[in-house]
Amino acid sequence: MSSMREIRNRIKSIEDTMKITNAMYLISSTKLKKAKKTLENTEPYFELLQSTITDIMAHSTEIPHKYFDKRANVAEEKRKKGYIVVTGDKGLAGAYNHNVIKLAEEEMAKPGENVLFLVGQVGARAFSKANVKIDMEFLYLAQKPSQYGARSIAETVIEAFRQKALDEVYIIYTKMLSNAKIEPQVLQLLPLKRKTFEELGKKPDTEDYVRILWYSPSPKEVLDKIVPNYVKGLIYGALVEAFATQTYARMTAMESATDNAKEMLQDLSLRYNRQRQAAITQEITEIAGGANAL
Amino acid sequence: MAETFYLKVVASDRQFYEGDCEMITFIGVDGSYGILPHHECMVTPLEAGELTLQIDGVKKEAAVGEGFVEILPNQVTVLTDFCEWADEIDIRRAEEAKQRAEERLRQKQSIIEYHSSKAALSRAMARLKVTDKIR
Repeated sequence: MSSMREIRNRIKSIEDTMKITNAMYLISSTKLKKAKKTLENTEPYFELLQSTITDIMAHSTEIPHKYFDKRANVAEEKRKKGYIVVTGDKGLAGAYNHNVIKLAEEEMAKPGENVLFLVGQVGARAFSKANVKIDMEFLYLAQKPSQYGARSIAETVIEAFRQKALDEVYIIYTKMLSNAKIEPQVLQLLPLKRKTFEELGKKPDTEDYVRILWYSPSPKEVLDKIVPNYVKGLIYGALVEAFATQTYARMTAMESATDNAKEMLQDLSLRYNRQRQAAITQEITEIAGGANAL
Repeated sequence: MAETFYLKVVASDRQFYEGDCEMITFIGVDGSYGILPHHECMVTPLEAGELTLQIDGVKKEAAVGEGFVEILPNQVTVLTDFCEWADEIDIRRAEEAKQRAEERLRQKQSIIEYHSSKAALSRAMARLKVTDKIR
């Protein structure tokens, strides 16, 4: 059994740790409020962007375009895949960073040559040790998603895709499924995937199917302009969502850490009191025994 | 009452406008577009510039960023990077952004840098143009 002094020391150290976790909990919960607001404001754009583009794609199945080019002639092992991996700048967010990195590693294990674009310090540190080609790091973005940042990432990957330095581009980020569940996700940015009408759940003979969209001035010019904008919008949305989930993950992790600390303190103080009582009882018995012996 | 169509203007940081509208004008790649009810189905890119909405006979002006416009039967969707009413624009910030962009354009740059400075300049110009009218 540990001595009273040892228990006291542990109680002290747990109390100190709890102060930190509790402070971090409070900070992240206020930050979450802000992040959630930004997320709510961005969500309509993010969703409408995806649905509108799928709709446009579905109506333009006949148009060949460089952003649709799957480059099927490039062999599976030779394909250059770019992954934008969005992690946090700091740890202490539960399994948040770990899950993203694990998913990225799973994706990278697939055949093909990988190129990484990293957002966030934690990912940068994790992958700098591993033997992977890191093209560019956008470290400043994890804490403060901005249009400007999203634009610079989008320009980099689109340029690489156009010059055939990349054949496929994915973004790996964390999505909030519902209020209590977050999950890392892989989203394909380029080349654009066309969904058929069946996949969209539309019947072939409805009005939607036969509707023909007119592209002004020309389909090529429209797609030339829209696609980079779409990619940028997607990256921006993903960054905003990742930041919100990161703050959420940190808040829950710190909340449970504080709870655990409280539980441990309760347990330890019980043990401390027992020990103290035992010591007193022992002293009394010793005194009583000494008195009897006289 | 004039005929209307359903309009949705969504910027990347907020839902800008949702509701009925009589006419909308914006800048496309090859010039100005004006959309009235019963317009043909169309998709067109949106350039940074002015966006004018006519609601209940009153014209309102806003500055928009790049994006695109989708026109469906009696429904128009505008998706853009940013969208601000004239009175929301921070004129000084736009002036500074314009100067910065012009500064960068004067230097020798790569093609990518040139395009991004050009885009930055057109965004600043869009904001300034809209505010010029109300001043």
